[in-house]
Amino acid sequence: VPDSEATPDEPAPEPEYSEDGVDLSLIRWMLSLTPAERLQFLEQRIRDILAIRELNARK
Amino acid sequence: MPGNNLFAALRSLHDNRIEFILVGGLAGVLSGAPLQTYDVDIVYCRDPENVERILRWVGEVDAIFRIQSARRLRPNETHLQGAGHLNLLTRYGPVDLLAFAGSNLGFAELLPHSTAMDIGEGIRIRVLNLEKLIEIKEELGTGKDKAALPILRQTLRELRKKGSQPMR
Repeated sequence: VPDSEATPDEPAPEPEYSEDGVDLSLIRWMLSLTPAERLQFLEQRIRDILAIRELNARK
Repeated sequence: MPGNNLFAALRSLHDNRIEFILVGGLAGVLSGAPLQTYDVDIVYCRDPENVERILRWVGEVDAIFRIQSARRLRPNETHLQGAGHLNLLTRYGPVDLLAFAGSNLGFAELLPHSTAMDIGEGIRIRVLNLEKLIEIKEELGTGKDKAALPILRQTLRELRKKGSQPMR
């Protein structure tokens, strides 16, 4: 359940990018984690990617 | 094919009391940069005692050179005392042992530019800080290093804006 819901006529928040195209929301989210959580997140992503690769290699 | 377990690779280095500093993309991730990386890059202390501990670790994690991996070549003491990059494959995935990073910066030179970070289970490792990581990547200037720079620089800006340290 979201903390608050946008009203139907409310526009979606504008994505924030730096001048060279870096997603600032992603950086801010990463900075909200501890180093241990960042490591876990990266490991999970790697596992997911390798699983998808393996699945497709078998086809 | 060996698994890719970054935490287990770092824990094995820590448990063997190896003196090292984490550098490369994973150091950036631990400092908050949303980068994708698959290996563990460390700069190690080349003191004879540490080299001995690394040799024990090599056996424990079944480390072999990634190049010509079919020959299953193990790094030895001479390799570890040299100045090269040892690109290894271990039971926990790829681990690169570097005698130096950037323009001949060894363990002692990088130590003041590193921070101890808790990576879970009470394990603390030394991680190269973002400022030095950016400096080294700017110096190296390869395509891969250049690609990571905008994210690293922006992460450093955000960190400074937050007025916080990479650790929480």
